[in-house]
Amino acid sequence: MAGGTSAANGQKVTVGIADMKILQWDGELITYALGSCIGICLWDPNIKLGALIHIMLPINMEAGRKNTMKYADTGIKETINLLVGRGARKDRLVAKIAGGAKMFEVVGPSNLGNIGERNIESVKMNLRKEGIRIISENVGGSVARTLSFYPATGIGEIRAYGQPVITL
Amino acid sequence: MEIKNYDELTTLEIDTLREIGSIGTGNAASALSTMLDREIRITLPEVRIMGYNEAIDWIGGPEAITAGVLVHIGGQMSGVMLATQSLEFINLVLDSMLSEHIEDYSQLGEIELSALVEIGNIMISTFINALAGLADIKLELTVPSITVDMQGAILAVPMVAYGGQSDYLMTIGGNFVCDGKEVPCRLLLSPDIRSLNFLLRKLGVME
Repeated sequence: MAGGTSAANGQKVTVGIADMKILQWDGELITYALGSCIGICLWDPNIKLGALIHIMLPINMEAGRKNTMKYADTGIKETINLLVGRGARKDRLVAKIAGGAKMFEVVGPSNLGNIGERNIESVKMNLRKEGIRIISENVGGSVARTLSFYPATGIGEIRAYGQPVITL
Repeated sequence: MEIKNYDELTTLEIDTLREIGSIGTGNAASALSTMLDREIRITLPEVRIMGYNEAIDWIGGPEAITAGVLVHIGGQMSGVMLATQSLEFINLVLDSMLSEHIEDYSQLGEIELSALVEIGNIMISTFINALAGLADIKLELTVPSITVDMQGAILAVPMVAYGGQSDYLMTIGGNFVCDGKEVPCRLLLSPDIRSLNFLLRKLGVME
C-alpha cells in the first residue's frame, strides 16, 4: 500500500448512514457496508480538506428537506457549502465515489431493484452540475463496500468481503 | 388515527404488531422444525422502531457477514421481508438437509445456497400466510433472492425501500432456538407506512 494511508497520528471518524463528516490534514474518514448507498469523497488538495458523505437515495423530495445527507442532491450541495465555509475553493474540489451496488437479484417492484443505479446517476449528475470532477470511482456490481478516505493524501480504500483492498 | 411515521405508533398498536410477529415467527419455527426434524422454538418476538445507525448496531455492526434471503411483498400491502442466516443457522440447515458442515461463508456453493433460499423462503411464506390469515388480506410474494455479504448493506435494503417516507426502520420479527441453543436467524418484516396503517385498521386496532 502507498505510504500515508494509515491514520498514524489522526483519528478515525465514522460516517453513519445519511451522514457526513469532514477532516483536515490527517486522520481517516470511514463509512461501512455501502450497499446500494454511495460514499462520496470531496477533497480540496491544496488545503487537504476532505469530506465523506454516505447517501441513501437519489433525490430529496421530503417536505422541509431536512436530513440533507440522506440524499445525493442535497447532500452534495450542503457539503460543498460546508467545505467552502472551512476555506475550500469550489473550483479546486475533486470527487471520488464508491457504492451503488445491487445487493439482491429481485424480480419485483422495479424501483427497488435498481436503486443503486439511480443513486449512481444522481450523484454523477449533481457533481457535474456543481462542476466537480470525479477522479476515481468504483460503483455498481453486487457487493457491499466499506470506504475509507484519507484527507492528507486524497487516497481512498475500498474493502469488500472476500476481495483484496482496492485503492480508490 | 393514521400514522405518518413509524415512531407515532401507540403501545396498543405495537403490542398488536408484536402478537403478529409472535404468531408469524411461531408458524415459521414449526415449518422449520418439520423440515429439519429438530425441536425449534422462538425467542420473545420484537417490534423495533430504530434510527438507521441504531438498527445497524442492533444487528451486531455493519461489517459482519451474513446470508440474507429477501422477498418483496405485494398485493394489499407492500413491504420487504428478510431472513438473515448466521453461520450457526446455516450449519443447522446444511447438516439436516445435506449432511454437510462449513467453516466459512466462502464455502457456500450453488447447492448450499439454493437450500438456504428454500428454507428462508418457506419461513417467510409461512410468516406471511399467517399474517394474511389473521388480517384477512391478500398478499403476494416475489421470488426469493439470496446474498452473502456485510449485514449492514443487507439491512439497508428495507431502509432504502422506505427511506423517502421515514428516518426510521420498523421491523417485526424474532430469533430461533434449536435444541435449547440460540441460533441467530432473524425474520424481519418491514412494511411501508401506508401498509402499516392498512394492516392495523384490518386488525381493528386503528380507527
